[in-house]
Amino acid sequence: MASTGLNSSIEGAEAAAGRADIVVGLTSHNHVETIGAVLRAARAGLTSSFGPSATCFLLADAGSTDGTRQIARDVAGAALIEVEYERGPAFTGLPYHGEPGRAAALRAILQSAQRLGARACAIIDAGMQSAQPARIERLIAPVLTDGFDYVSPYYVRHANEGAITKAIVYPMLRALYGVRLRQPAASEFGCSGRLAAHYLEQDLWETEHASTGIDLWLAAAAVCGDFRTCEALLGPRSGPTRGVAVDLSTTLAQVVGALFADLEHRVDVWQRVRASSAIPVFGTPTPLDTEPPPLNVDALVESFRLGYRELREIWTWILPPRTIVELRRLTEMTPGRLRFDDRMWVGIVYDFAVGYAFRVMPHDHLLRSLTPLYSGWLASFVLEARGENTEQVDERLEQLCLAFEAEKRHLISRWRWPERLR
Amino acid sequence: MWAQIDRILREATNQIADQVANFLPGLLVALLLVLATVIVAVLVRVLLVRALRGLEFDQWAEQTGLVALIGRPVATSPSNSLAQVVYWTILLMGLLVSLTALNATIPSQFALSVFEYLPNLLAALMIFVVGTIAARFLARSALIGAVNMGMQSARLLSLGVKWLVQLVAVAMTLDHLGIGRNVLLLAFGILFGGIVLAAALAVGLGARDAVKEALARQLHDPSRDDDTVNHV
Repeated sequence: MASTGLNSSIEGAEAAAGRADIVVGLTSHNHVETIGAVLRAARAGLTSSFGPSATCFLLADAGSTDGTRQIARDVAGAALIEVEYERGPAFTGLPYHGEPGRAAALRAILQSAQRLGARACAIIDAGMQSAQPARIERLIAPVLTDGFDYVSPYYVRHANEGAITKAIVYPMLRALYGVRLRQPAASEFGCSGRLAAHYLEQDLWETEHASTGIDLWLAAAAVCGDFRTCEALLGPRSGPTRGVAVDLSTTLAQVVGALFADLEHRVDVWQRVRASSAIPVFGTPTPLDTEPPPLNVDALVESFRLGYRELREIWTWILPPRTIVELRRLTEMTPGRLRFDDRMWVGIVYDFAVGYAFRVMPHDHLLRSLTPLYSGWLASFVLEARGENTEQVDERLEQLCLAFEAEKRHLISRWRWPERLR
Repeated sequence: MWAQIDRILREATNQIADQVANFLPGLLVALLLVLATVIVAVLVRVLLVRALRGLEFDQWAEQTGLVALIGRPVATSPSNSLAQVVYWTILLMGLLVSLTALNATIPSQFALSVFEYLPNLLAALMIFVVGTIAARFLARSALIGAVNMGMQSARLLSLGVKWLVQLVAVAMTLDHLGIGRNVLLLAFGILFGGIVLAAALAVGLGARDAVKEALARQLHDPSRDDDTVNHV
């Protein structure tokens, strides 16, 4: 049942807490298995790194029915404030991150943090399976001690993990806004009180894709404003548990849809940016000690071929003829030799972004028709990355990012003169 | 005798002349009405195209996806297409009005009945257009969804959805026009009943093993172990 905004119990809890220098916010939805460990690790990290500072935990729960809130109360005790918020109309399907109403939850946490006068706020994932005390220190320390406003997490991941971020979100965000944030759609970040106040002034909380795109938009707002940004190495990321599996097509549509919607919102910013610059990275790299999750490359190649066969007609509304011809050539290759050219892939992503902006077809159709192309790219990337170490994979991704930056003029041209280049 | 022939001829000629004289004004009025209709239709078409372009109707139609929902590129712009439709509608209505000026019973009654039928016609046209757009939209949704699920028969499924929705739209249109209502209901009932019965027999008798294997694949497909990968 949706709750109704601020109530007297929250006011009382905030009044009792008084002021808090550091606020740790968690959004949760049926995370009974992990929230206890996450809170214990966070508390240990705060105590060891920021002992004398006043700290507080803010929990915005989306109506868990498995006892998540009780576990949180038991672990955090008096330091926990449960934040209520208006969840809005029921989402027709679960968002890819599994937390309904995440935008409203984050907004409520930032509002409480502002009322508590927090100098630093860290948002952490209640579903994280590998919670370490050091993570909270790495998200907070750059804000408190080095004066940064936004701390983005940088996880060490296998080549076949986070492919949507690697293939589209990171390189495109880097090319558009000139800042090299490797994982801008992560569910964790650290921010200063100044940035939190800026976030609360933005009008992005109740827009169409807020529930799915809020993390990405907060990252974009930070890099587009006059704020200092950095990354924090948080080691391997073991994915948060999910109550319901969300299919790849829905995940892609939600994440890429949020990115493309942001393009329209900040068109006057990204058309002026010309190159990207690296940002400071805090922490020491941790090697991956787990096996990569299995990925069926043959199924991805088959998905790509099926997509070409059945969706080619739809793609001709978005992609130029030379790209369609190139895709046909790729479908005729043997699976082991499939290789997506970086420039072609960048052209595909940018053409889809233009198609989204100019509504060549309903947004949902356009975004979901990208799925077979993404499957083809992922198969190509995984095949190429076989046998390579983390540094070699990073170098490969760097080439892709440079291609996105080099082809940005193509995006700007098509955005400004869509008729001329059709 | 010649006088009688002459008299009859004169009477026949006078009758024909009278009838022509009675008919001619109506014909002239009808021709004038047609001419006026053509002039009005051309003027309206020109003004409408200018007005729609001034209101950026073409961009709106593209942005709302109306053009894309039609399903294939059209030779003229949306504003030109709409203006053409209005042009031919005015022409048709003008022709019908001119029929009433002929002062002939059957054409006049025909014209009046058409005008009485016009609201039904317009509503039926609206149903048909909306139904067609819905059919194409749903067909495309089904196609993309089926492809993303890895279904090899995605195209067939999409065509089935399209024709099903189109059939329903046509049936609703004809029902609204009152054309063959009973026949339509009967035909629909037989058709859908037949399809459902055939499908039930095919699945229950002929394809139960295939359905069983397909369901097992969907529920426990070992090839889809990429579901554990976090793509974000």
